[in-house]
Amino acid sequence: MTSQILDILTSAAILYVVAAGLLIVFGVMKIINFAHGGFLTMGGYCALATADLGLSPLFAIPISFLFGAVVGMVVERLIVRPLYSRPLDAILATWGLGIIIGQLITLIYDRGVHFVQSPISGAVDVMGESYSQYRLVMLVVAILFGVVLAAVLHGTRLGLMTRAVIMNEDLARGLGIDSGLVRFVTFSLGAGLASLAGTLITPLSSVDPSLGISWLVNAFMLVLVSGSSLVSLGIAAVVLGGAQVLISSYANPVYGSMAIVILAAVLLRVRPQGFAND
Amino acid sequence: MTMINRKAIGAAVLLASVSTSAFAAEPIKIGIPIGLSGANSVVAPSVVQSAELAVAEINAAGGVLGRPLALEVADDQSGAAGAQKAYDNLIFQKKVDALITMETSAARNAGLPIVAKGKTPFIYTSYYEGRSCSPYMYVDAWVPDQQVAPIVDLFVDEKKAKTFFLIGSDYAYGRGMLAFSKSYIEKKGGKVVGDEYNPMDASDWTAIISKVKAANPDALILSTAGGAPNVTLTKQYKAAGIKALVGNLGVDEGTAKSMGTDAEGVFLSASYVSSLDSPENKKFLAAMKAKFGDGLKTPNDLSVPQYEAIYLYKLAIEKAGSTKQEGVLKALGEVSFQGPRGLIKMDKQRHAALTMYLGQVQGDGSVKVLKSFKDVDPGAQCPNLK
Amino acid sequence: MTDRHAPVIATVGGSAASKLQFGFLAATLFGLALVILAPYALDTYTMNVLTRSLLYAILALVLDLLWGYTGILSYGLSAFFAIGAYALGLASTHLGFTPLIAVAAFAAGLVIAALVAALTGWLAFGRGVTPLYVSVVTLALPIVVKQGLLSGGVFTGSSSGLSGFESFDLEIETWFRMGGIALVILTALCWIFVRSDAGRVLIAVRENELRCRYLGISTVRVKTWLMIVTAMIAAVAGYAYAAYTVVVAPELAGFEFGTEILIWVALGGRGTLLGPVIGALVIDLGSAYLGGSIPYVWKLVVGLAFVAVIVVMPRGFLPLFSSAWRWLAATVLRKPVAVAMDAGLRLVCAPAQETISAASGAPSVEIRQLSKRFGSLKVLEGIDFAASPGELVSLVGPNGAGKTTMMRCIADGAERSGGEITITGHDIARLPPERCVAFGLGRKFQTATIFDALSVADCLRIARTSHETPSFVHRETSLALPQAALDVITATGLDRMLGVEARQLSHGEKQALELAMVLALEPSVLLLDEPTAGLTKSERMLIGSILTRLVRDHALCVLLVEHDLDFVREISSRIVVLHQGRIVLDGTVDEVVGSALVRDIYAGGHA
Repeated sequence: MTSQILDILTSAAILYVVAAGLLIVFGVMKIINFAHGGFLTMGGYCALATADLGLSPLFAIPISFLFGAVVGMVVERLIVRPLYSRPLDAILATWGLGIIIGQLITLIYDRGVHFVQSPISGAVDVMGESYSQYRLVMLVVAILFGVVLAAVLHGTRLGLMTRAVIMNEDLARGLGIDSGLVRFVTFSLGAGLASLAGTLITPLSSVDPSLGISWLVNAFMLVLVSGSSLVSLGIAAVVLGGAQVLISSYANPVYGSMAIVILAAVLLRVRPQGFAND
Repeated sequence: MTMINRKAIGAAVLLASVSTSAFAAEPIKIGIPIGLSGANSVVAPSVVQSAELAVAEINAAGGVLGRPLALEVADDQSGAAGAQKAYDNLIFQKKVDALITMETSAARNAGLPIVAKGKTPFIYTSYYEGRSCSPYMYVDAWVPDQQVAPIVDLFVDEKKAKTFFLIGSDYAYGRGMLAFSKSYIEKKGGKVVGDEYNPMDASDWTAIISKVKAANPDALILSTAGGAPNVTLTKQYKAAGIKALVGNLGVDEGTAKSMGTDAEGVFLSASYVSSLDSPENKKFLAAMKAKFGDGLKTPNDLSVPQYEAIYLYKLAIEKAGSTKQEGVLKALGEVSFQGPRGLIKMDKQRHAALTMYLGQVQGDGSVKVLKSFKDVDPGAQCPNLK
Repeated sequence: MTDRHAPVIATVGGSAASKLQFGFLAATLFGLALVILAPYALDTYTMNVLTRSLLYAILALVLDLLWGYTGILSYGLSAFFAIGAYALGLASTHLGFTPLIAVAAFAAGLVIAALVAALTGWLAFGRGVTPLYVSVVTLALPIVVKQGLLSGGVFTGSSSGLSGFESFDLEIETWFRMGGIALVILTALCWIFVRSDAGRVLIAVRENELRCRYLGISTVRVKTWLMIVTAMIAAVAGYAYAAYTVVVAPELAGFEFGTEILIWVALGGRGTLLGPVIGALVIDLGSAYLGGSIPYVWKLVVGLAFVAVIVVMPRGFLPLFSSAWRWLAATVLRKPVAVAMDAGLRLVCAPAQETISAASGAPSVEIRQLSKRFGSLKVLEGIDFAASPGELVSLVGPNGAGKTTMMRCIADGAERSGGEITITGHDIARLPPERCVAFGLGRKFQTATIFDALSVADCLRIARTSHETPSFVHRETSLALPQAALDVITATGLDRMLGVEARQLSHGEKQALELAMVLALEPSVLLLDEPTAGLTKSERMLIGSILTRLVRDHALCVLLVEHDLDFVREISSRIVVLHQGRIVLDGTVDEVVGSALVRDIYAGGHA
């Protein structure tokens, strides 16, 4: 029982971390960034590169965030900006970008599966059950993600501007807010978070060119049911991630793996706003 | 340009071509449709290298019936769609005399109808889930009947394991291996307390690992798709603190090595381990090192059968006296070759009896051979084919 | 139907039409000759690869109908392809191959594809869902189908798929020719279809779905049927693929393959039919020849081209080539090239129709206890109202009084929070706009809502869809409109601009066009939201006189939301004053204009 609750919470935490970058891009720009999978993969390779340089795994965190953010800036300028008014085309263009990132990584590193030694491994005792230490760490990381993002949104001037753009972009522009700048910063932040998430999940996964793809679809579904709210994303991650764990446990993992996709599709049909409350 | 000059140049060109190929005769073409991209792209280069070595050695020793061997490599993208293109290309465009290759089961199955259309002799050099039969195909790698026994025997007889939990990827190979494992474990008196499959591309094993912990088995038998699923599962059960014996049917020496400490203690079973102490293996390794130097891809249980299969094909042509497919197909089941893995003869319903090695991954990633099992029979693979 | 003897009001175009038809016929015959003769020139390998590419090109073609023409971005066409392919693979593997089983498998593939498409359509095109949701559903579909195939064990062959099953024993040349002929004929049929009147409806749905629904077109039904038909064609292509290659594998169903089809369409040029076909052939052939030697670089190049096309030239490569050709022909060869034009068109008057309300004798609109809330905010409350044929009722009130909301509630059953509404005696219940329109309702929006990419004539014809079932094969040469619509058109000079693309009209012309489109529905109840906003004085006068005549001569009931009180005073037969979500006054023009209450409200409301 304890382990199942922990499974649900930690699975939700991992989903939360993986989807957060996609959510803020969608929330502010109303654009689904399908290159998110590519950015996750990039983060995995940042961890690999850091390890290859012989640096401590902790260095991978700032390195991958900065690398992702810089790539995000370039991508925003070149690809995303011309597509603001064509959100469906933006999905396609960013999907194409995901292909490009995957192929570039393959050309640099080959298609092989790489390994990054986990800084924290093994299990600890939680209420009499031994449980994977790193998954518990991810729980803390997810909470940190949520808190830091909320602090940025509610405690900084940029956050205020961002919230204004989320609520009503035309009005915000009318008030003199540079919505182009907000979008630029948002996209690079989203890319940075995606890359960071890619680094953070490497202790649980392998590093290979398709690392991000398997997460992309689930993250996409979670974001659509959450709208633009970090709180909704938390709820969605717990509910859908929980459903995935429970269905995998009591039915079978194949159905479990489809749980998020199917439940999200059905939920959005019944309630187009998903877990968002308006 | 004068006449003389032109003649001189012609002679020079002729000379050059003779000195590079050293044969005047039309080469015998061997097609290798292989996963240069996609899932198999990690191991494919090592397979191509060992094929190149075999061809170079044979050509240096005078070729086959006075003709040189030549390789035609085509990417099958590790899947069915790509395989169709690759087989079409090799059989109908490049008009190869035979196909010798290591591929995914999907690619092989997609290629077999094309092989039948072209009536081309085909040696399959990858271990697989077994019982794939075609009048044009021979297999010189292992099947579940040969691989599972060493691990399960060790666990039941020596480690006194009673309960087993089986985990696999949900695809033909994963299911085939575990279905065989299950029946073999039960035959040995062991008990299978659970078997779970995850989708092929899934990277999250949370629910399955929790089930393993609840069942608390003595041993785990894993058969996942190669590459990523293998790694994610290993990392995640290790992180969950599972202490059961682990037999991994899907891990090869190279993957185990790069997994580092996460794979420590895992048992595996294979027909080839690079540390084999036979003169043929030492000669093979030295030749590979000499030919490819720093670019060498570590020889493994997929690349060595490829090397041997090319020799088997050479011997079959020599026995049949030509490259005509009827004769070659018959001869392939009769010839034998002493290669790095030992004596290989594909006379067991198109498959081969093989010596299997039981190994355990050490702390430094190397594989220590614990035991060997001589000439393990592949069982009834294709009772309808002789 | 059109009355051939009716006086012709206006004509446009004409000469280019026959030239275009000749070119089309010649191109089709050339295509057929090409695929029939090609086997003599091609080697076996190329033919082998091309046969598959031809089947893929069919997928690109139907995806172009879905995405390029109708705007439905689908990632899931691969799932239907796989359904057709597995129908044959499974049947032949497990039941053996006989002619009967081959036919049964074919039928089963079609039926299953149609059912799955209907389910997908039902999910994807539900009410209140966003365009993104279509992507969600069509992304989920291939994932679910592929996973189902993977976990089908021995039955579906799991990851290895099924292969080597018995199939039709035909020569490769025959397969090639069959695939080629199918592709050419299908392309020709699609070409005819998208240029037919019915094909214009697809474009209208893409351009402005809301307007379509308020013209009485059930866009959900149009899109669902299109989904079903394209799914069935994809399933046939899949069946042929399986029959030819005797291999089926789960990757056929995957969304990666679905996305690849999108790439072919995007690169070739969406909405051009020929572009996607060429895109599929070139890229698939390219990957066969170059993918082997430079696998990663090839995919990288395709990825780069895809992104570049989406960002820089969303219309793809084909339009680029064709405009280059036009430029070349015009400047170098000094030969004028006929640009596709509207076929010859005659504008005629439709015979007068009995309006619905005149027959039933019920009030045109009747509202009882209407309320509308947004959360805790009450926008409308306790509205009771009725209007009869021959009345022109203006709704006035300050901003935020709920005027537009009330219009919306009358026109769409799903809008209101409480109360009952009948239109010409029919309870609108929770019915969607297109059903309300069928009861005799017409609605003109505040901002001109037309189909930018279509010509004026096409916009008007789309408006007649519910009266005249559009042809699937040709373009009607005459357009019959009711007198009221004709009046608007002739009075505003639109009759001389029938061939002009609607986006090029002036603001006032757009307003007039929309009004004419709504009148073309021959409504009994007309809802007009600020029809004169942004118009000149003379245009306003014109609209006013048309409206009063409609009310007088055709016994129309008009509900008008208007800020211009002079205009209101001039044309209304009754005025209703809304304030803070309630009706505060309902009377004749004189009663309302003279009311002190109204002055207070306006003074307060505007303060």
